Parts: sequence; structure tokens; C-alpha cells
Amino acid sequence: MNRRTFLGASAALLAACGKPAKIRLALNWKPDPQFGGFYAAPYDKHGLDVEILPGGAGTPTVQMIGAGSAEFGIVSADELVVGRSRGNDVVALFAVFQNCPQGIMAHASRHLESIGDVLKEGTLAIQRGLPYARILEKKYGFDHVKVVPSPGGDISAFLRDEKFAQQCFVMSEPLQAKHAGVDVTVFPVADIGYNPYTTVLATSGAQLKSNPDQAKAMVAAVREGWQVYLNDPAPTNAKMHDLNPSMEAAAFAEVAEAQKPYIEAAELGSMTAERWTTLIGQLAELGDIPQAIPAQDCFRNL
Amino acid sequence: MDLSIDAGEFLAVLGPSGCGKSTLLRMIARLSATSGGRIVTEPEQFQTAFVFQDAHLLPWRTVLDNAALPLELMGSGQEARYAKARAALAQVGLAEAEARYPAQLSGGMRMRVSLARALVTEPRLLLMDEPFAALDEITRFHLEVQLRDLWQRRGMTVIFVTHSISEAAFLANRAVVLARRGGKIRLDRAIDLPWERTNDLRSDPRLGHEMKLLMGAMEEE
Amino acid sequence: MKKFLPPLIPFVLVTLALEWMVRSGFVPSYLIPAPSAVLRALIDSRDELAAAMAKTSAAAVIGFALSTLTGVAIAVLLSSSRAIQRAFYPYAVFFQTVPIIAIAPLLVIWFGYGMKTVIASAFIVSIFPVIANTLTGLLSTDPALRDLFRLYGASATVTLVKLRFPAALPQILTGLRVASGLAVIGAIVGEFIGGQGLGSVVDVARTQQRVDKVFAAVLLASALGLALFGLINLISAVTLRRWHASEQVS
Repeated sequence: MNRRTFLGASAALLAACGKPAKIRLALNWKPDPQFGGFYAAPYDKHGLDVEILPGGAGTPTVQMIGAGSAEFGIVSADELVVGRSRGNDVVALFAVFQNCPQGIMAHASRHLESIGDVLKEGTLAIQRGLPYARILEKKYGFDHVKVVPSPGGDISAFLRDEKFAQQCFVMSEPLQAKHAGVDVTVFPVADIGYNPYTTVLATSGAQLKSNPDQAKAMVAAVREGWQVYLNDPAPTNAKMHDLNPSMEAAAFAEVAEAQKPYIEAAELGSMTAERWTTLIGQLAELGDIPQAIPAQDCFRNL
Repeated sequence: MDLSIDAGEFLAVLGPSGCGKSTLLRMIARLSATSGGRIVTEPEQFQTAFVFQDAHLLPWRTVLDNAALPLELMGSGQEARYAKARAALAQVGLAEAEARYPAQLSGGMRMRVSLARALVTEPRLLLMDEPFAALDEITRFHLEVQLRDLWQRRGMTVIFVTHSISEAAFLANRAVVLARRGGKIRLDRAIDLPWERTNDLRSDPRLGHEMKLLMGAMEEE
Repeated sequence: MKKFLPPLIPFVLVTLALEWMVRSGFVPSYLIPAPSAVLRALIDSRDELAAAMAKTSAAAVIGFALSTLTGVAIAVLLSSSRAIQRAFYPYAVFFQTVPIIAIAPLLVIWFGYGMKTVIASAFIVSIFPVIANTLTGLLSTDPALRDLFRLYGASATVTLVKLRFPAALPQILTGLRVASGLAVIGAIVGEFIGGQGLGSVVDVARTQQRVDKVFAAVLLASALGLALFGLINLISAVTLRRWHASEQVS
């Protein structure tokens, strides 16, 4: 038996009996409808024992995948590209949101026409480190608007101040504002041509290489889960509400409905090289990555 | 207890631990209230000074400022109080140490500063609560001689609480021995020794005789 | 210089070890940056970091100064009577236990986005050690000295100024040592929410996965904390030199 065969045999043996007792799926926010399909997924049916780890503000899922503290994680496409450019071998497997649901919301009473208008006065709460924040800065400049950190889902500052605008998920914070009695205008980030896949299931290249069947099973389970969730979100919503009581049950239902257009596709979760190439080009132009990286390394359609 | 003290006396108060001799002193100083009975003085108010077992100097102040403290608290101006403090320090032999800090002094020197501080207000009554107990014997001998000398020159009344029979006999012209409990006086005796007390007296048999009498009273129970 | 050598040696060794570990691939650079990368980030972003550091320093120093003055004043008040102490000390403990992350958004409501919120945050996080240590110091005055002051008719105010406060100084300075570092932490947390200074640099760099810049900002924040701590040590050495055991040369 030569060295190569021996190593190959050992790896297979390890793979067979060294499978972790639990697969950890790290979320990058608290349980809410954007993760519905993951909570609805029939993991047992596909031979998987999955533990979902809820996240919060700043959960570093890209680094967690790289460091091995989670086998799978939810990331956004842009942070995956940046991670890869820094040597972190993360690979996307399933994109929940085919189109990016990020946006900027402003009080409707301001009668603003475009995203550029938001930046003409008042305050904008946005995560400055995000690529689209810097695209906005490059395109329109932040000279006339006061930029402050994003309050992370909390709209109390927005409600108090008419000239306060903030980043949002288009089907989430705007609905909250409406319930609080404030009508809003929402400007999707996609309008400025920035449209990365969002809420993307990812894993490490090493994991993919050593355990390709597990990854395939994971994607299959997740795809089924999203089908179930899109048809009937109610039971999964109840489960998630128990885990995240800060969000009301009625809101779960509302958001689950409003997010459907962003998710529905011929093949749920699948991705194209073109979209990735566009994104990579935009990030290279911004200077977030030193140079373009191969798009096909970023994802697998399993 | 019923105790009467004349002006100008040097009274030693002896007694076993817990007999209340320190409490008696504090009551006389009006630092503690009496539980029944009164402290009556003639005149009613006069300058009292207190010396504790530890020198209790303010460590952040110089020797001079420590000695001058009572006058400062009583409202005296700097020139006036420094002059008096210097005089008091000279009397205890610490004139050149006035700019030093307590941390730089020996135990004996600190006690002398404490003594100077007590004397700076020219008190009519000097209360002392085992002031030399923490010092070594030779230093104690010298300070006892110095104290007796100061008392002779100033004519103040001294009430000196002590554990030590030899110290009581050496220093005082009158000694009182308290019982272990109940505040009773076991012995009240005029000390029969020469007016001038020097270290030579320490080997004098008359001192031994006084000590024997005092010890007898102490051991009674 | 001789004093700085002992702590410098482990620092140099760890830095060299870390550099080697990242360069050899043993530790991924996207998790922990090589010290050389941190240095480069410090140089490349020096203008941004310098401006941010100025802001954080100002807020931390002002917050610390306020917590010193207020903390000492509160402790003096608490020490003046048993009744007041029993009634109000538990509320002082509140400052110790309140999670600043939770109330920082409230600070924004009251003080808006900017310097005031950051100063408030630094103040809240750093005031309790000042109160606790000052109070302990004021209550630990030698009873014999208190008797002495009483004997010579000193009022409560005179006793406070000439006896209790100077006697409490070593303890007060201990409290200030702890509070100085906390003021920097409080400022950084306030900046996460309020959006400026080194805290903001860390927040933005983190989003961009620029660990080298994060470490550079953190290093500067630590340097700030060290500088404040050193300042208190200097004050302690000068004021306590002559009389307190802690500053005596052995």
C-alpha cells in the first residue's frame, strides 16, 4: 500500500466514523422569517443531526465557518467574497433571497423621490462598513447627511425624528413602522445596481471536500424546508416565536408573506456565476478586495 | 468609684486588663459619656491634652505641622503656632527633626512628637494612656525621665494609665490600683520616693519596695 | 528605562511568536492578524486612527474627570451619616451592575448621537470604583485621630478636610486606577452606539473583515487606558511619596 492509498483510506475511515455528532448551523441574526426554511427543514429525513445556533448583532458567521466552530453558517454574498479574498475558504450552497432585500427607509411625509434624496439632509443610520454604504457614499457623498450607526432592527429613533432614515430589510422594519403609525418610503439597495444574494447557506471548502454527501443532504433538506415554509409558515413561525419572543407572532406572519417575492424561484436557492461575477467586480472597484477572484470558487449548486 | 485628684499631681492608674482604666481616662477627657455619676472639675473648662499608646501622627504632615496641629485646630495663626510647636519640640529634644515626616522617624521619636503635640497648648491636664508600652526598654527609660522632668517644670496635672508597676512607681507621686471589675479602687497610695527621679533610682531598693506594695494590690482578688 | 525592560520582553517574544505563526500558516490571517499587518494598518490608516483616537481620548478623559469629581462628592455625602449611607448606597451599586450595552441606546435617546453619549457612557461605567473606594477610605479613619480632632474642638468639616480626606487618599487613588481603564471601555462602548472615535473604527473595520485594522484600533485604545493608568500612578507617586508605604522605596 503506497502513501497515497493509505492516506485516502484513513480519510475515508475517519469520514465514516469521525462524523461530528451534531452539525452546527450558525445564524447571523435572531430567529425570524428569513430563516424560516432552515427551521422547517426535515433534517432527520436526510440523515442529518443539525443544531441551529441563533445569532445576533455582529455574529461573525464567516469567521466561524473558517475557524470550524460551525459546519454551516448563514452569510451574505458580499462578506463571503471578502472572506475568500482574505484566505478564508468559504463556499455558498443555497441562497434564500434571490434578490437583496436590503433598503433605506425614510418617512413618507418627506416625499423623497430617490435614494440620493435621502442623503440631502437629516440623519442616516447605516452600517458604514457595508459595501452598499460605501457605494452610496461614493455616488452621492455624505456631506449633507449625518451618518450614525444602525440601531439594529430598533426603529424608536426613526419614529421620533422625521428626518431620520435608516437601513432596513424591506419586508421588516417598514411594516413595524406602519404599525406604529408612520408611513414610510422604502428605497431598495438593488435600485443602485447592488444586488448580492442574501441569507446564504455556506460551508467551508474543507468540509465540502471531506464530506460532499453531507453537504448535498444539507442542501436537499434545506430546499425541502423552504418549500414547506413557503406553503405554510404558521407552525414554523410558532417555533421561531418561542425562540425569539421579542418579535410578535402577528409580525412573523406578516413578514413571512412579504418576503415571498424575494425567495421564489424556479429552483429554490440556486445561484448563477454571472451574479457572483458582477458582485466580485463591484467589490474590487470599491477596493474591498485587492483584485477579482474566480466566481466559480464562490459557490456550488448542489 | 470615687476619685479626687488635686491640681499638679502626677497620678498613675494601674490595673489588670479590662478594669476600665482607659475608659476612665476617656471619660475625664469627655470623649466618652459616663454611665452614671459625674466628672466634676474646678474650674469647669481648661485645656486638656491626650497622649495615646500609638503616636497617631498624621503621616502626610511634617513633624512641625504635627506638633502644631492642636493650635491649628483651635484657630491659631501659622507664625504663632509654629513658634510654640518649635518650643515644644525643643523640650522633647526634636528641634532638628522638624522638617522630617513620621515615616522617617523611629518609634521613640514619634512618641516624642506626640508628646510635643500634647504640650503645645500648654495644657493644665495631661492624660496619657499607656504611651510608652510599645517602645523598647531603654527608650522607655529615657522618655520616663524626660516626662517627669517636663511635669516638674510645667506644673501641670498628669494622669498616667499604665500596665507597668515599675513605670507607675518611677513616674508618679500618687498611684491608684483598680480592681479587675466593678471600678473599685484597691489601693490609693502616695509614692514615697525622692522628688528628683533619675535612672539611678532604678536600682534603688526604695523603688523595689513601692513596686512590691503596688504588686500586692494588683494581685489581690 | 530599566523599569520598562521587564514587561517589554514578554511583549517582544509574543509578537515574534505570533508573526511566525501567522506567516507559516499555522494561524489563519483572517482570524488573527500578523503583527506586521497590524503595524501596516496603523501606518496606512494613521490619519483616520489619529483623529479617532483624539475623539476617544477626549471623551474618556472628560468622562473620567466627571466620574472622579462626582464619585468623590457622592462618597463624601454617603460617609457623612449612617442613615444616608444605608438609604442611598444600594443605588450607587446600580452603576456597577447595569449592563452598559443595554442602556447605551437609552443614552442616545437622551444625549443624541455624538460626544455627549460617549462621555455619559464613560462616566457611568467608571464611577462606581471611585465611590466605593473613596467611601471605604473615608470610613476607615483612625478612631484615635478622630478623638484627637474632637478633643481640640474641630468641626465635622474641618475633620473631613484635614483628617479624613488626606487619610483616604491612598484608597481614593486605588479607585481612580480602576476607574481610568473602565472609562476607556465605557467610551468605546458608547462609540459603538454613538458612532465616532476608535469604537466606530472597530465597528466598521469588523464589518469589512479588516481584522488588522480592528487590532490596530484596539491597540490604540489599550495605549490610551495605559496612559491614564500611568497618569494616576504618577499622581500617586508624587502625593504619597513622603508618607505612604505603597510608594516607599524598599
